[in-house]
Amino acid sequence: MTQTTFPFPRRSPMRLTFAFGLLVIGVFALVPAVGVLVISFTDIRGLPYLPVNWIGFQNYISFFSAAHLDYNLNAMRNTLVYAIVSTVVQIALALGIAVLFNQKLKGRTVYRAIVFMPTVLGVTVIGLVWSLIFNPSAGPAATIWGWFGVSPAFFGDQHMALGLVIFVQIWSSIGISIVIFLAGLQGIPEDLYESADIDGASGWQKLRLVTVPMLAPSITATVLLGIVSSLQSYQLAYVLTGPNNSATQLLSLAIFSQGFGGSSSSGTAQSQGYAASISMVQFVIVGVIALAVLAYLRKKEARL
Amino acid sequence: MTRLAAEAPTVATPGEERVASETKLAHRRRPLRPSTVTNYVLVAVVMVLYLFPLLFLLNTALKSNAAFSANPIGIVTNPDFGNFATAWSKGNFGAYIVNSVVYTGFAALIGTFVSVVLGFPVSRRYLRGSRIWTVFFVILLFLPNAIITQFQLLLRLGLYDTQIGYILIMAAAVGVGPILIAGFVRSLPVELDEAASLDGVGYWRYLFTFVVPLARPAIATVFILQAIGVWNDIILATILLPDSAKSPVTLGLFAFQGTYTSQWGLLAAATMIVAAPLVVAYVFLQRYLVGGVVGGAVKG
Repeated sequence: MTQTTFPFPRRSPMRLTFAFGLLVIGVFALVPAVGVLVISFTDIRGLPYLPVNWIGFQNYISFFSAAHLDYNLNAMRNTLVYAIVSTVVQIALALGIAVLFNQKLKGRTVYRAIVFMPTVLGVTVIGLVWSLIFNPSAGPAATIWGWFGVSPAFFGDQHMALGLVIFVQIWSSIGISIVIFLAGLQGIPEDLYESADIDGASGWQKLRLVTVPMLAPSITATVLLGIVSSLQSYQLAYVLTGPNNSATQLLSLAIFSQGFGGSSSSGTAQSQGYAASISMVQFVIVGVIALAVLAYLRKKEARL
Repeated sequence: MTRLAAEAPTVATPGEERVASETKLAHRRRPLRPSTVTNYVLVAVVMVLYLFPLLFLLNTALKSNAAFSANPIGIVTNPDFGNFATAWSKGNFGAYIVNSVVYTGFAALIGTFVSVVLGFPVSRRYLRGSRIWTVFFVILLFLPNAIITQFQLLLRLGLYDTQIGYILIMAAAVGVGPILIAGFVRSLPVELDEAASLDGVGYWRYLFTFVVPLARPAIATVFILQAIGVWNDIILATILLPDSAKSPVTLGLFAFQGTYTSQWGLLAAATMIVAAPLVVAYVFLQRYLVGGVVGGAVKG
C-alpha cells in the first residue's frame, strides 16, 4: 500500500507545491550536504575563480597526519565530552525539574516560562551574561571562588573552559526538555500513582517504575536529538571562548576556523576542501553514535 | 497584561510568605507535608539560577565606569543611565533587531510552508513511494555540517552577502518539520478529504483552508522550533553576511563585545538593550511559545 486513492479533481497542484518544497530543501540543504562529500576530495578555496583540483584522499590523509592529529584528536575528544555530558546531565536534570514543576505548586506556569526564557534571548545575550558572571577579575563567581582562596580564569582556564561551556549550554537549552517532559508527565494517568501508593511505593520507586517508563518515548526522542544536535553545536563555544581556543575546540568550530580563516596557526588555513573533510569525519561520528544510542534506547524501551 | 505584571513580583520572591502559607494550608488538609517545603526550596534554587544572571546584568548596566571599578559586584546605589545612551548611539541595535526579526520570520515561514506541502501528501500516501519520502524526511535530520558548501553555493548563485540567500539557507533547515506535520495529519480523518473533494474543493484550497487550521498546533510547533534555530544562529550569519549592516542581532552584539572588551557597564547595557524587548515580548508570548513547542508533538 504505497498509494491511496486521490480524492481531489487534479493532481497537478499537489505536485507543484510538493516540487516547490523539494526544490527549496534540495538546493539549499541537500545539494550542500552531498557537496561536502564531493569537495572533501578537492583543494577548493574560499576565494572564487581559483582553479579547483581533484586531490583524492589527500585531505583525509592530512586530517590524520602528524601535523594535524593532535589538533583533531583534541577536537574530537572535546566534541564527545561536550555532547555526552551535556545531553546526559541535561536529560537527568530536566526530568528532575519537570517532576518538581509537576507537583501541586503555585505559579508553576511561571516557573516553566522562566526556565524556557533563554531560548528567546539568543546565544550572544546568554554568552555575554555568563561572561559577566564568570568575569575572572570582577565577577560574582570570582568572589565565590575567592572565599575558597582560589582565583581561576574561568573561560580562560584550560581545565575549566569546556565544563563551563557545557554548564551554560545546559542552562540555556534545558527549558525545551523540561517543557517536553512536563507535557509527557501530564499524560500519565493519575490512577497509576494511586495504585503505586496503595502498594506502598516510595517516591523514588514511583519515579523509577511509573514515571520513567511512561515517559520512555519522549526520553528516547529527546536523548537522540540532544546528542545529534550537541555533537554539531558550536554557537555557544564560539561566543564564550572564540573559535581557536584549544580547550573548547569542537569539530564544528574546527570546520569553521579551517574553512573561513579563523585559524592562522594551521598551514592549510582557508582550504575549504580540508574543512569539508572534517565535516565528513564529524558526520561519520554523529551517525555511528546516533545509531548506537537509538539501538540501545529502543532495546531499553522494549524491556520496560 | 495586568495578570502578568501581578505575577512578576511573586517570581522574584519565591521565598518566605508563599512557603509559609503553603505549609499552613498543607497542615490543614493533610497532617504533615515536609515535601512541599522541600519542593518550594528546590524551585527557589532553580529560579535564582535563572533570574540572578539577568538581575546582575541590569545591576552592572546601571553602573558608571567609576562605580564599576570601585565595586564591581555591589548592588547599585545611584543608577547611572549613561551606559544605555552610549550603547544605543554606538551599537545600532534597533536595526540589528529588525534584521533578526525579518530573517527569523521569513525563514521560519518558508520552512513551515515547505514542511506542510511535503508532510501532508506523504502522510496521506497521495504520492508514489510515500515510504521512501518518509525515510527521506528522517535523513534530513542527519545531514553533515554543510557551512562550507552553503557558502560556496551562495557564492556561485550570486546570493552571497544577500538577505534572500541567508533566509533561503535558514529556511531549508526544516529539521523535524515534515515529520511532525506528517504525524499530526495522520490524526485527521481521511473522510474529511473525501467529503471536501465531493463538495468541489480543490487540493490547494483544502490544504490551506481546512488542513492548516486543523493542524495549527503542529504548525505552531514547527514554526517555533525553526524560529528558535534561526534566531540563535551566529555562525552562518558570520559566513554568509559579511556586510555588518545586514547582521542579525546575535552577530551585531557579538561585534560590539569585540570592540568594547572589558567595558562591562557598557557591554551590560548593550546586552540589556537587546534582551529587554525580547523579555517583554516573551512575557506576552510565552504561553503560545512554551505551549507551542509540544502542542504538535503530542498527537504526532
